[in-house]
Amino acid sequence: MKGDPTFWLLARASGLTAYVLLTGSVLAGLAVKSRPFGRAVRTASVTDVHRFLALLGLSMLALHGVALTLDRTVHLSPVALLVPGASPYRPVPVALGVLATELAALIVVSFRLRRRIGPQNWRRLHWATYFVFLAGTAHGLTSGSDSSRPWALGLYLGAVGAVAFATAWRVLTVALRPVPTPTGGTHVQDRDRPLAL
Amino acid sequence: MYRIVIDRSLCSGFGACAELAPEIFELDDGGLVSLRTGTSPDPAVLEAASDCPMGAIEVIEEQAA
Repeated sequence: MKGDPTFWLLARASGLTAYVLLTGSVLAGLAVKSRPFGRAVRTASVTDVHRFLALLGLSMLALHGVALTLDRTVHLSPVALLVPGASPYRPVPVALGVLATELAALIVVSFRLRRRIGPQNWRRLHWATYFVFLAGTAHGLTSGSDSSRPWALGLYLGAVGAVAFATAWRVLTVALRPVPTPTGGTHVQDRDRPLAL
Repeated sequence: MYRIVIDRSLCSGFGACAELAPEIFELDDGGLVSLRTGTSPDPAVLEAASDCPMGAIEVIEEQAA
């Protein structure tokens, strides 16, 4: 590495911060449906946290990209930030990051367009969040220069474990959740009902 | 009194409304919201509207005649 390392350090820090924020958003999004804290935490609050973390994570990804174009270590052009595979530096790992970012931005924007595209398409697009998360994890592991350090590996492992656990929790709680009835009675939700995200 | 308007084209079946106010909201066989009643004095409808992640519930406060 030559010269001023400011942008290189900023790129690494913003990339890791974005990963943590977006993992938090995924966890909050899963909690919107599974409601692990019951009535103690309002669904509206969890939804707000989910959206806020997603926007903050995307902003951090933008900073990650800008820092990489200004940095003199890897020499990424603005085109390489937008076109998967156009980066001469670790092309496949960087392409995973570019694809994950573009898809994440599309998913965030899709909420505004949910009426136009319909809830079914919105839901299908939201399932792509798992691709964003896995591609982002693979991007971090294969292109991050801190990835071999124990704390970084612990971070990735913790994130994958947390999302896997929250996904399993969501599937189980939703499948077994009693459906409320006006008389106060309950019955277990039909298994063939579509599961909302 | 609150008048409740739902937009089923936005509903994704989260079911928060039916849990908060089962006297007013229910999920149909397709898993989407339907109304048991169009009006209610129960302030739980306000909570249900703000808790809907898709923003599919609108509540209009009406003056009693």
